[in-house]
Amino acid sequence: MTTLAQKSLIGLVLAASTALPAMADDISWIYCGDRIDPVHEKYIAEWEAANEGWTVTPEVVGWAQCQDKATTLAAAGSPVAMAYVGSRTLKEFALNELIVPIPMTEDEKAAYYPHIVDTVTFEGTQWGVPVAFSTKAFYWNKDIFEAAGLDPETPPKTWEEEIAFATQITENTDVAGYGLSAKTFDNTMHQFLHWVYTNNGQIIDADGNITMDSPEVLAALQAYKDIVPYSVEGATAYEQNEMRAIFLDGGVGMLQASIAAAFRASDTDMNWGVAKLPVGPSAEGPGTLLITDSLAVFSGSGVEDKAIEFAKYITSPDIQLEYEMSPDAGLTPLRPSEKVDQLITEQPYWAPYVEGIAFGGPEPLFTDYKGFQNVMIEMVQSVVTGSAEPQEALTKAAAELEDYK
Amino acid sequence: MTQSRAAWYFAWALLAPAVLYIVIIVAWPLIETVRLSFTNASLRRTYDYVGWINYQKIFDRDFLEIILRTFTWTFFSVLLKMVIGTFGAVLLNCAVPGRHVFRLLTMPPWIVPMAIGIFMWGWMYNGQFGMISGLLQRFGFVDGPVAFLAYGHSAYWATIVTDVWIGVPMVTIYFLAAIQSIPRDLYEAAWTDGASRWMRFRRITMPLMAPAVITMSMLSLIATFNSFDIIWILTQGGPSGETTTMIIDTYATAIGSKKYGEGAARAVVICLFLSLFCIAYFRMTRRLAGTDKA
Repeated sequence: MTTLAQKSLIGLVLAASTALPAMADDISWIYCGDRIDPVHEKYIAEWEAANEGWTVTPEVVGWAQCQDKATTLAAAGSPVAMAYVGSRTLKEFALNELIVPIPMTEDEKAAYYPHIVDTVTFEGTQWGVPVAFSTKAFYWNKDIFEAAGLDPETPPKTWEEEIAFATQITENTDVAGYGLSAKTFDNTMHQFLHWVYTNNGQIIDADGNITMDSPEVLAALQAYKDIVPYSVEGATAYEQNEMRAIFLDGGVGMLQASIAAAFRASDTDMNWGVAKLPVGPSAEGPGTLLITDSLAVFSGSGVEDKAIEFAKYITSPDIQLEYEMSPDAGLTPLRPSEKVDQLITEQPYWAPYVEGIAFGGPEPLFTDYKGFQNVMIEMVQSVVTGSAEPQEALTKAAAELEDYK
Repeated sequence: MTQSRAAWYFAWALLAPAVLYIVIIVAWPLIETVRLSFTNASLRRTYDYVGWINYQKIFDRDFLEIILRTFTWTFFSVLLKMVIGTFGAVLLNCAVPGRHVFRLLTMPPWIVPMAIGIFMWGWMYNGQFGMISGLLQRFGFVDGPVAFLAYGHSAYWATIVTDVWIGVPMVTIYFLAAIQSIPRDLYEAAWTDGASRWMRFRRITMPLMAPAVITMSMLSLIATFNSFDIIWILTQGGPSGETTTMIIDTYATAIGSKKYGEGAARAVVICLFLSLFCIAYFRMTRRLAGTDKA
């Protein structure tokens, strides 16, 4: 064999061997956040070991961009196999045939807390696998309560009490009573929906009719208007995490927040308490907005079936619970279990997050989710800034939502 | 092949990379955007041509308000940059000890990565933790915290101030270079004739700086009109759309709501406005070049 032929053969072998990993079947995954959670890292490795020839390649993308990146890639015809998305976008993706359905068995559905499956269901089919769950609870600063002449061990149970307590705090102390956040930001809508779901309200029904212009939602908007004078000045400048920072700094007496607030409050010397969200006059029980993020499998990647298999594996009960309990996640458990019961016993601040689920409501699904969100934020801001009366703002918003359902 | 034809081919061969670059980077995306603006392209994989509908939607009341706001926002921002830049350049040109240090001190807003600078301003505008609100309370100008980004009017001006802070260093340095190119003889002659400091500024500095001011105004106008980062990071166009400019609205429509057709139409309108600015800029520079020759 000539030297040239020998070299060519060696080159061919080398090229083939280096190309092998690239030729293996790969599940690309847009992973929202700053880094891959160690729990996921561990189980990705285990899954790869059990599925020879398959790899999972997570690409970490910041929260602000990950949704847009996954969407843009799919719209451009070069989708990733799987992405971590807000479940609110599933309807929009499904209607545009960007994602494939991921039907659940009855056993799988039954394993979740009530209404969780609703957050990923559209036209009777599931379009994503829930991977993260968030509910809200009510926080209060006991020292501020005491300074205002309130019983530090008794949080408000109704909106009426909440507004009265906020008034008393504002008038008797030098801090604001309530932390209302109304910035041009997605969680402004979420914060308001917690009020809607603690008053048995609804935005859109199962048949796709806009039902927002109702006495229940109007009462929520009126309560917003009533509590503004006793809230942190300039509510439209703050989103919920900025308001949480003010609460942790002792600048406001009451707040509704996720479990992450409890973790952070535990690191301060603040005297705080956490309870179920106060309810409105039409409530039938404790409520909260149920927000989930899901793993969506995009059509056109060529590995849809395997991606579904992996999505179900990485969100299977034991792995999911381990992920939820990891220190960085700060997530409400998706499924009831003995371990969750044990967690609530050991760390009682988890209780209100779980107790609100039964009467909670899923994040509404719209065909143009951003359009829906913008209408809701505009409605809330117009009431908070006093540029519109609650009924006027509600009627206008309900009419506008017809374009986005 | 004749010699002239060979020269012609050679010239085109030299030009080809530049032409190719322009076609790929500028012309093709532009043509594609114009084409897209006549469609109802969205997340769906197919779309239809819808004629002028996307352009008709633009001229509803909300968008006309946004156009007006974009122009006023740009006008105030450019005006402030020019005024502050001029004063800054004159001051930095003064023969004071340590002026090189002062010149260096003008640079940080330009050197600091823009996003970091904007976040810093975001914190300064914060009512609870922000420096501005704190100082106002400390000196008794206000009774309680003032959240500058909470109200339409203050948020509008807050975004302008941030844009001015970022833009002033470049304007100042450019104007300083223009001032330094003015011959010293003119000042010495004027001083000998008894001209005051103000007269020297008005009759020598200002007229000879004029070409630089006009050039920089036009360049700044184009950059400011398209300013996205500042408003998006500080307010995302809120509260209640009071800081939404054309570029923010275009982004929200095209990327936020995934209405690529409508977004493209808005982008085309921005492009038309910017083209007008560019034409004005080139005409002015040509006129100024003509004046110089004369």
